[in-house]
Amino acid sequence: MSFLDLLTMSASNLWRRKLRTCLTILGVIIGTTSIVVMLSLGFGLKRSYLKQVESSGGLTTVNVYSGNDYYYWGDEDSSSTEKIELTDEVIDEISQMEHVKFVSPILNAELILKQGVYQCYANVKAMSYDALEKMNIPLEYGSIPTSDEEVRFIFGNNIITDFSNTKTNEYYWDTGELPDVDLKGDFFAIYDTDAYFSSMWGDSEGNKVQAPKKYIVSNTSLVSGGVDEYNEYSYNIYANIDAMKKQLKKVFKNKAIPGQPTTKSGKPYSYWVYNEAYVQVDDFNYVTDVQKAISDMGLQAHSNAEYVESTQKQFSTIQMALGGIGSVALIVAAISIANTMMMSIYERTKEIGIIKVLGCSLGNIRSLFLMEAAFIGFIGGFLGLILSYGLSAVLNKVLARYAGDMFGTGSSVGISYIPLWLSGLALIFAIFVGIIAGFLPAIRAMKLSPLSAIKTE
Amino acid sequence: MSEPKSDPVIQVKDLYKFYSIGSNRVKALNGVDFTINRGEFCSIVGTSGSGKSTLLNMLAGLEKPSKGQIVISGHHIERLNENQLVKFRREHVGFIFQSFNLLPTMNAVENVALPLTFRGISKKTRLAKAAKMLDLVGLKKQRFHKPTQMSGGQQQRVGVARALVVQPEIIFADEPTGNLDSNTSAEVMNLMKKIVREQNLTLIMVTHDNHLASFADRIFHIRDGKILKIEDNTNKEVLNDEEI
Repeated sequence: MSFLDLLTMSASNLWRRKLRTCLTILGVIIGTTSIVVMLSLGFGLKRSYLKQVESSGGLTTVNVYSGNDYYYWGDEDSSSTEKIELTDEVIDEISQMEHVKFVSPILNAELILKQGVYQCYANVKAMSYDALEKMNIPLEYGSIPTSDEEVRFIFGNNIITDFSNTKTNEYYWDTGELPDVDLKGDFFAIYDTDAYFSSMWGDSEGNKVQAPKKYIVSNTSLVSGGVDEYNEYSYNIYANIDAMKKQLKKVFKNKAIPGQPTTKSGKPYSYWVYNEAYVQVDDFNYVTDVQKAISDMGLQAHSNAEYVESTQKQFSTIQMALGGIGSVALIVAAISIANTMMMSIYERTKEIGIIKVLGCSLGNIRSLFLMEAAFIGFIGGFLGLILSYGLSAVLNKVLARYAGDMFGTGSSVGISYIPLWLSGLALIFAIFVGIIAGFLPAIRAMKLSPLSAIKTE
Repeated sequence: MSEPKSDPVIQVKDLYKFYSIGSNRVKALNGVDFTINRGEFCSIVGTSGSGKSTLLNMLAGLEKPSKGQIVISGHHIERLNENQLVKFRREHVGFIFQSFNLLPTMNAVENVALPLTFRGISKKTRLAKAAKMLDLVGLKKQRFHKPTQMSGGQQQRVGVARALVVQPEIIFADEPTGNLDSNTSAEVMNLMKKIVREQNLTLIMVTHDNHLASFADRIFHIRDGKILKIEDNTNKEVLNDEEI
């Protein structure tokens, strides 16, 4: 028998027993849906977690610190290796590593920003133009500061809440009102904060000190997003590292720049030492490798990779449990397929006998019944997938708010997510379950005696 | 009709079939020997329980003999396994049943084409052949009727067409007119006989009715699993036709 003949014959047999076929298919629909939706919850969980991690520091980012005690974080065994300083040379070395997309030193500058009655203690992260550009910081307005201009800032979208009213000493969190700061306007920047404080309260000996020079900063850019929204750039102020170096040299002249190490006699080095570097890896899978290589250099390296991996593992366990619960329904559906096929074989004993007498080969008879079962699996799986997508959409719509609160993710990421490969796999699996369930009945049909056809009822 | 006698198509030697019903051993066939030649129309006649159906089933490879040999067109069918038996039936045998056994979901032409489907013949060819066969049995108009829309006689004509469509060497018929009234029975019998003659086929028919058996060239009388006598009917043929 040709494949097409087998197909049409088994399909027409199913069609003949419409109601029973439909009921059996319904079982498969429920089974497939329950598995797919359960698994989709797990995938949604993983995905929203990844998004969350991405928004709070990135998945492919490695933060590098010099072996300074200030930045000692824990895990890294920094005592065994020689501590080295983060200099331009070291940065260069890191940039040569495999899978490193780009690396930028971070020069931290602490300064005071003033506008009207408002002021802010700002920790500015000065980075290279290249890095700032490649970080793809979403900007509400403005542009990435270049090295050719005066120091210019990119404000994080939450920075405005760091401004306090110098008269009342109140912050946004005290008043609940946003400070009346024009982020697009000009700011006074005070780089020599020690001198500033001394000028206000006197120096250690109580002498009056002249207030340090203020510098005007204008044309700042802003990270997009409201005050209530959070991303990895929200609480930072970025600046161009070359412009910042030029500015600091201008401000401090021959004095030591705060944060830069000095010789024993208190004189600054002729080169820059950074306390932080920002490394971007090209793929999440290589983050640990790069991290390891940097640690081996005697630096401290931190990334989200380990943490993310262990959390992902936990989520996989949860997902497997959910899938297990979901699969119970499919097992029941499989039993119901087997039952339906058995019934239909008992009903069709005579018919099977007839086609056997007429010369239908045993293999063909088996194929006929396997195909019927596979058909049930296929149709059930297909409709189940459609239902799953519908259900997943409903879940995302209805539960998004609660889930958003629960997992701390935005409503933009659903809690249920069906990857394309899962739907493909689910369909194949449903067909497979059908075939497995139909196997025993098919063998039984094959072994039926052709004599039953001769017997008259 | 003397030439075909030299061409045996079925040879049965020393055939036994035992059944165990509880502790009793029933001898359904108790040593049967005969030879049937190509183009012969034979009927096996006997009362119910005489073993006539068992004999037919074994000739068609539906039951295994307990002992003995069955050679059909050179094949020892008692030695074939089930798969080979199915293949043997597909290639050599046509079947006509008492209860017609048409598939209720298919119309006449599809039912006739069914055995060709099992041979893997394309849909177009098999439907064309089936239609031709239906013309031959006089059911041109009923081609697309479902079995439920046809009379018993018409259904059995479809059954005959289905047996013939594969151009078999041998046709087995098990009480082919058992479910038909006497007029229709005669019609179907004459149809079968005519086609068998025209196409030089071998037809073996089982019946309990002596009158129907007398349509055949040779009549095997069977009782208690043994052949009582073989009646050669070729000379009385003219007479038989007149009786009807």
